[in-house]
Amino acid sequence: MTLASFSSASRVTTISRLTALRVPPTVALSFAVIAFVIAWSLAPDLFTSQSPIVGVPAEKLLSPNTAHWFGTDHLGRDLYTRVVYGTASSVTSALIAVAIAAVIGGLIGLLAGFLGGWVDIVLARLVDVLLAIPNFLLAVIVVTAIGFDTTNAAIATGISAVAVFARVMRSEVIKTRQAVFVEAAFLMGGSRWHILLRHVLPNASRSVLPLAVLQFGLSILVIASLAFLGYGDPPPASDWGLLISIGKDYLKWPWLVYAPAFVTIATVLSVNRISRWLRKTD
Amino acid sequence: MSHAYLAYAAKRLAQAFVVILLAYVLTFVVVSILPGDPITNVLRDPQNGFTEDEIKAIIAAQGLDQPIPVQLWTSLSHFVIGDLGLSMRSNRPVATLIAEVLPSTLILASAAFAIALLLAVTIAYGTQFVPKRLGQGLLRGFPSLFLSVPNFVIGLVLIHVFGFQLGLFRVIAPNSFWATFFAAVALGIPVSARIAEVLIANLDKESEQEYAAVARGRGLTEMRLFAKHLLKPSSLPVVTVIALAIGELLGGSLITETVFGRTGIGSLVQRSVSTQDLPVLQAVVSLAAVVFVLVNLIADLVYPLLDPRISLIGGRRVRPTAADDSAAATPAAVTS
Amino acid sequence: MAAQDRLISNKPTGAEPTTPVPLRPIPLLRVDGLSVSYGPHEVVTNVGFELGRGESLALIGESGSGKSTIACALLRLLPSGGRATGRVAFEGQEVLGISERGFRPLRGRAIGFVPQDPANSLNPVRTVGAQAQEAAALLDEPDKAIRKQLILETFAEVGLDNPQRIYDSYPHQLSGGMLQRVLIGLAILPRPALLIADEPTSALDVTIQKRILDLLTRLQHDLKISLLLITHDLAIAAERADALVVLKDGVIQEAGRTASVFSSPASAYARKLRADVPSLNPDRYAALRDTRFGTLKTGDGTAPKIEVSAVTKTFTVDGKTLTAVDNLTFAVPAGTTHALVGESGSGKTTAVRLLLGLEQPDSGTISVASEQITGRSPEALRSVWRHLQLVYQNPFTSLDPTWTIERLVREPLDRFRIGTRKERDEQVHEALADVGLGEYLLSRKPAALSGGQRQRVAIARSLVLKPDVIVLDEPTSALDVSVQADIVEVLLSLQANLGLTYVFVSHDLALVRQLAHTVSVMHRGRIVEHGTVTEIFDNPRQPYTRSLLASIPSGVANAAQAPRPLLMAAAE
Repeated sequence: MTLASFSSASRVTTISRLTALRVPPTVALSFAVIAFVIAWSLAPDLFTSQSPIVGVPAEKLLSPNTAHWFGTDHLGRDLYTRVVYGTASSVTSALIAVAIAAVIGGLIGLLAGFLGGWVDIVLARLVDVLLAIPNFLLAVIVVTAIGFDTTNAAIATGISAVAVFARVMRSEVIKTRQAVFVEAAFLMGGSRWHILLRHVLPNASRSVLPLAVLQFGLSILVIASLAFLGYGDPPPASDWGLLISIGKDYLKWPWLVYAPAFVTIATVLSVNRISRWLRKTD
Repeated sequence: MSHAYLAYAAKRLAQAFVVILLAYVLTFVVVSILPGDPITNVLRDPQNGFTEDEIKAIIAAQGLDQPIPVQLWTSLSHFVIGDLGLSMRSNRPVATLIAEVLPSTLILASAAFAIALLLAVTIAYGTQFVPKRLGQGLLRGFPSLFLSVPNFVIGLVLIHVFGFQLGLFRVIAPNSFWATFFAAVALGIPVSARIAEVLIANLDKESEQEYAAVARGRGLTEMRLFAKHLLKPSSLPVVTVIALAIGELLGGSLITETVFGRTGIGSLVQRSVSTQDLPVLQAVVSLAAVVFVLVNLIADLVYPLLDPRISLIGGRRVRPTAADDSAAATPAAVTS
Repeated sequence: MAAQDRLISNKPTGAEPTTPVPLRPIPLLRVDGLSVSYGPHEVVTNVGFELGRGESLALIGESGSGKSTIACALLRLLPSGGRATGRVAFEGQEVLGISERGFRPLRGRAIGFVPQDPANSLNPVRTVGAQAQEAAALLDEPDKAIRKQLILETFAEVGLDNPQRIYDSYPHQLSGGMLQRVLIGLAILPRPALLIADEPTSALDVTIQKRILDLLTRLQHDLKISLLLITHDLAIAAERADALVVLKDGVIQEAGRTASVFSSPASAYARKLRADVPSLNPDRYAALRDTRFGTLKTGDGTAPKIEVSAVTKTFTVDGKTLTAVDNLTFAVPAGTTHALVGESGSGKTTAVRLLLGLEQPDSGTISVASEQITGRSPEALRSVWRHLQLVYQNPFTSLDPTWTIERLVREPLDRFRIGTRKERDEQVHEALADVGLGEYLLSRKPAALSGGQRQRVAIARSLVLKPDVIVLDEPTSALDVSVQADIVEVLLSLQANLGLTYVFVSHDLALVRQLAHTVSVMHRGRIVEHGTVTEIFDNPRQPYTRSLLASIPSGVANAAQAPRPLLMAAAE
């Protein structure tokens, strides 16, 4: 009795705290999903005791059950374990891609927007050119050029997204540069560099954050697609895209596709939801 | 066709040309830094069975013995007059190779585009009419969901459900109607999400505009308001998104063709990647850029004709903001 | 007082709505116990009033008073999430509770609406004529040609010169004043019984404001329309309405016949509001303003603080040359306030930018405190800005939203490297105290502050450098009138204490009269008239100056308005 009332009281405070922060329930759920994904990638062995590489041949292609939540694959390996161990690589590569795109793209946009003149003209054309080559095709030729493995796939994905960041950053910088408070800072004796670093950059970056979060989700998809085409690490790696790719040859045992696909979709969906929320609360 | 419009069109055309040339150069540079030597990797591959004389002939024909800038210049000047060169692997003209597979990809991409547009319009306009309590939120969730699913998963699910379970088509006959249809659905769904997202955002923005409230105050029904007022301004910007979608269809066809086992541009790229057939890669990427730039050019040229607000000054699009005698100085009083 | 209570119910919060006494003729509009809430937030509480046929009533309040929300609730156009309760009877029929289908025939046909911002109130991608046809569709007239004829006649009726051209135009091709006439025309076209005008002139220039208000008053009388006028301006309301309802935070503070509410307001809020309206209190700050002025008469021999001589600036827009400022000449003695007055397009903004060196003139010279502004490089201007500062019009855009208040106020000291760290801290605290802000705000960001607080921060930032000259570019035009009064008081006491010289740029003549010593009236880039405040206001020589002065609302119904048939009075 006491316990029950206590726990319900604590739940009430959690909910009210969430409403105080104005976090909608779907966003809270999304954060929970992301927390799980991060935990999987940091310490996969806490979530499963089985091996992602060595299987039990006698237990191959089992459908999902209590011992094997996602079933087993053609070598008798637990699919859930494979997904958990594949998380780190999938997440890290998406982070690398976003970091490359945001840093290079952000820098190009910042310089083009702030310096203007011929620097802007040259960089704007460069961005146009990058945009002109379909994203995925660009990622494919870049990964072809630098070699097939997951890190390179991440780099290629990042490069293919540079233009998006450059574009957004440039327009934000131009918008901020024309803001009244920037001119005010100029009148207060601020130098060009002071204004660029202290006023323009922090303000322009505010809208780059939701974009980066969104791009994280997209990168997971692009890297998965590259893995699916065989441009990532070869098996026994267990990146999500690779798992689905392996599963496609065993469509009679559909959980081999559906389970890793479900994890991918849940992750990307959560990331997109958080991005939308960030954009709205800004 | 006013003078200002022609000046604008000329400027856009010149820009498009420059972008295409630069895209070609960029691709060339990326492709040229491929690790390893394509001569040893491809030509001397015993599987190809070229004789030493044939190899010499190919090297001479491709100009592979020249320094890279010279190669770039030769290849670029050929590209400009429409000569895409010879495949390194089969020694056939690249243009022929592309022409062989292009129809299949065109069919797939145009079907996918039609499906994407139909789906996007249904979802977006649906949100305006489905009441909140009857699943408007669900409808609004679709684009976000579609954008979160890898497109090869959509393809695999369709194959599993409609091919394996329902037996509507057979994977070994990838050019049958239903196989093509479902491939187009798989390719079109992520694209539809992008279009729908923009449409919904525009519709929401427009319906919150002051003029919409004033029109409601004039006694308009929601249906008339939508048809007469919101439809055009919210759909106009989609012209630009559609141009972007074309690029996505081209990239996506790479995956979809693999999933559904179709031959097409995508499978050509895949094969060229694995055999490092540089001229083919170079040609496909450059042509994709040409298509993309041209579609964008058309969108840019059409847009000013559709939107009366846009005036063309000095070859640039200018949208006037406030009328002259409204005191820009006086925004509504704000809370203290 | 008892009679007034019968006319306009003014019940305190929480009182039970009383049933109307069915003895008098049914008023056109009767609002009873109206409350509007968004979720848990109640923005309008228990509001009630009556409006008779052919009568006019003004809802007055500052931002957040709920006056526009009431208009939306009456039209049943509340944004999603808004919920209205209470009773609204239109021609005796309850309309708040009926279905959307049942209410729609009233919208437009019986109740017309004139919006606040004409520039955004017509669909930008459709012609004016196409939208006028929508309003005309409410008339029972099947023939499109006749409908068009009616539209053109209405356009002529609202004072539009070339109706056919207007009909074929897109909204962006018309000026704000013309658009507002179009919108009024569309509203009266179906001959509604009630016209709701939500701040119909607040986005327009002063001279156009007056013409639009005259038009509304004329139409009201000619067409026997009842007018519900929503405004923040007490003077306008008093001039145009038979009865006033004063609102604050969604609650009625005072209501009654215009004459009694305006001349002898009973509630503290209405009294303060009346005291804060510049046009009604021209000499409110005279003593404060002239603390030092007695010893600083113009032309007493000392060099003026600011000297602008023969400054001309042209811009090239779309290949056309536009003279923004033409032969501008004026001088400001130290410790006084010089006002630049003009409507939009008068060149006053360009004048400000030239004065600060943000733009360079084509010809002419500007000097501030004997230092030449013209011809200086941006680096050389820095030393001038140490003594010459600007306060911007809109405190919502002039403060970096990512910075704390402390950093913002410290920024000029840091940039100009003034004093030690500790001294800078002290100066920041001093400057905040000077503008009347508490230290608890130091760690906050601008978004957590109100408009008035933000403008004080902006003034503190300019002040912290201890400049001699501050240029004030419409510093109160984005603020509510009561906040404006506070800011003006802060500015004048600073001047009295520190001997600052101000250049005050404004479109508001009444405000200028309260605080300036000398005035230049600008029109199309030129100064058409200049002199001391007394000279300009008591004895204007130029017709343009006179028309500006005439458009200041006086709070008294002017002769142009027809005598009112007071139905309510007849009922008493």
